[in-house]
Amino acid sequence: MNLSESKDFIVNSGSLKDVRLFSRDVFEKLNLDKNLKEELVLAIAEAAQNIVKHAYKGIEDTDDKMQIKISLNDNKLEIGFYDKGKPVVEENIQHRQLDDIKPGGLGTFFINQIMDDVVFKKDQKKWVNHLVLTKNLSNN
Amino acid sequence: MAYNVKEDGNIATVYLDGEIDMDVTEKAKELIMPLIEAKKEVHLNLKDVQYMDSSGISVLIESHQKAMELGTKVILKEISKSVLKVIMMAKLEQILNLE
Repeated sequence: MNLSESKDFIVNSGSLKDVRLFSRDVFEKLNLDKNLKEELVLAIAEAAQNIVKHAYKGIEDTDDKMQIKISLNDNKLEIGFYDKGKPVVEENIQHRQLDDIKPGGLGTFFINQIMDDVVFKKDQKKWVNHLVLTKNLSNN
Repeated sequence: MAYNVKEDGNIATVYLDGEIDMDVTEKAKELIMPLIEAKKEVHLNLKDVQYMDSSGISVLIESHQKAMELGTKVILKEISKSVLKVIMMAKLEQILNLE
């Protein structure tokens, strides 16, 4: 089954619930295993949270939207995140070392644990940041 | 997120309900931290928490560390399967008090 769905969300923490709802709805159509579905929802929600937390750091009220696009082609799941926040500096992205027990830094670690690939693309004129998460569902 | 707190002597049991994400972490902290600061032993009942992300996990770590600093403890009770999975993904099952 091939599929492509996208939705825009206002960039704020209140949208994260809607991001999860959208993701669950899409994955429901794909009839994914419940565990895998919840892992993917977590990865998507963490990436969306990073946009709110980091790309829009210091910006409390904005009407800006982020777009999330979930596509499945030949069992390859691709999830795109588009935003117009501060440009991401990839070198500054570090997930927490697991033996360093402190709050924070876990979101990126979860995304890397769950997905096969995490890539920032510089192919957008309309948007500032374009993150692509991929996972080959043939392996699951 | 909904909650309910029951206090019995020095033990405060906090029943959390719903999904715990970045949007509700401040509310969760405002609920839990004063109990820890009052040196209560805090039992967090997580049986009705269907979803927790890294922000929720951060609240658990922060609460645990604050309790240790003040000579008390936070015990996680009846952890739902989905929350346990995230705790284990973060490899915190040996760090936090799980029951």
